[in-house]
Amino acid sequence: MNRHAWQEIKRQLRESGAAGIVAVVLVAVASAWGGILWTVHSWVQTELLAGNRPATVVAIARGPAEAAALHDAIRANMPGVATATLAPRKVQEELASWFPELATVLLTLDERSFPPLVEVEVTAAQEETLVPWLQARPEVTLVESSRAWQSRLEHTVSRFLIAGFALALALLVGCGVVVLLVVRLLVLAHADEIAIMRLIGAHEGDIRRPYLFCGSLLGATGGVLGASILVGLEVALRGMLPTLEVSSWVLGGLPFGGALAGVAGAAFGLASLPSEP
Amino acid sequence: MLHSRFGDTGEIPNCTGARARPPQRTATDRGLALAEFVLPGMIALNGITKSYNGRPALRGISTAVDRGEFIYLTGPSGAGKSTFLRLLYRAELPDSGVIMVNGADLMMMRRREVAEFRRRLGVVFQDFKLLRRRTVGENVTFVLSLLNLPDREQQRRAYLVLKQMGLQHRMHAYPDELSGGEQQRVAIARALVLQPDLILADEPSGNLDPERSHELLELLKTINYQGTTVVVATHDRTLIEAHPARTLFLEHGRVVRDAWVTAP
Repeated sequence: MNRHAWQEIKRQLRESGAAGIVAVVLVAVASAWGGILWTVHSWVQTELLAGNRPATVVAIARGPAEAAALHDAIRANMPGVATATLAPRKVQEELASWFPELATVLLTLDERSFPPLVEVEVTAAQEETLVPWLQARPEVTLVESSRAWQSRLEHTVSRFLIAGFALALALLVGCGVVVLLVVRLLVLAHADEIAIMRLIGAHEGDIRRPYLFCGSLLGATGGVLGASILVGLEVALRGMLPTLEVSSWVLGGLPFGGALAGVAGAAFGLASLPSEP
Repeated sequence: MLHSRFGDTGEIPNCTGARARPPQRTATDRGLALAEFVLPGMIALNGITKSYNGRPALRGISTAVDRGEFIYLTGPSGAGKSTFLRLLYRAELPDSGVIMVNGADLMMMRRREVAEFRRRLGVVFQDFKLLRRRTVGENVTFVLSLLNLPDREQQRRAYLVLKQMGLQHRMHAYPDELSGGEQQRVAIARALVLQPDLILADEPSGNLDPERSHELLELLKTINYQGTTVVVATHDRTLIEAHPARTLFLEHGRVVRDAWVTAP
């Protein structure tokens, strides 16, 4: 692009004024929202829903003797897996530590009110065979696996993500519409000038390129702002979630996505250009 | 005093001299028609009609302009002068007929070829049509930038052409800061900077006082002496008589006379 085109882009950015600022802010909000969703999604997948994450299977036994027998059976069936038996007293204490506000009540209860547990740490593949095997055992009254909890979380997260990304997409379309309106206003304001440019031999590309570039700059600026918001959030949350990390792909993709929405908006805005015979 | 050039009928002679150019497309009917209508020079119109909402603006115009000629289009308001010029720089297409300008068949021209075609023309308007948000220098260099010339070359050429117009000291002024005469000279500078083969001027003196109008005509004549074909649409009869040249008289969309006008 030549000097005239750059000057024209600068003029257009200046003339886009408040509408241009609205477009930038909207792209920033949309891209930051999209970036947050993607980052949270990645974090949940890596930290909570990883397929190779070890599972914890808990079997509630009918009594301490059954718990001991179950423990031995598991060791015999799956040698090498980490197995622990929690006596009723231990279960009572653990529950009291989980719910401190109920601790007094829980600790006054008779320890025979609590069942003995057998806790087994297994891989995802082992979990699939262990759970049905435990459920079939006569000494077991209930089997719980952390994988079941993971799948419930996964389901909830995926529904939340679908709704979140739909909102981000709607915001991005909104950005495109705002850029469209900005470019349409600029085209209307410069209609005479565009006619003159055509008369003195400017190609359609020479006329349209600065508008498209202006739209993409508005979008990219919003994307950069969105990425900055994301980095700011990451820094702020580092103390609470040390493993939370914004991907460089996301940071690079946000300005690109913003620019794309801006170009698309500008291209639709340029449809209002009167055509020549 | 009027001297008829092609006779009172206004018919164009069928020139078949050395300067005739064969049309590009001879295989089609249109090409065959063009072959019969041999191109005499810079502009050739044959049977041009144009109407707006059923109201005819031009009715069967046929004429030719040689390279290096200076020609006036004159006639009362609504005679079709501006439509005639708009057809020549392809801002409009005729309803029927053939237009050849500078070797190009405007009817067959594709949209993307129009810009290239217009870069070989200089068009001067009554209302100047300068780019208001750009300085005088930028107005002139803009057309050079379309050719992707280096910045320094653009500046050099703009300076030279503005100097020719006596406006080199106003390069950084905006059009609204100039007088009407100065704006018209900027428009001419812009038209000249690409060294066009043809200059079309639509009522170029319409917004100028008589003295500036005569200066402008002198300038256009000078440009013409340097070999550029110039077509000026004007309704100002005194201007034509003061700067005599071949004149096409238009009335109700027809060429009613094609003659050389000299001073009375």
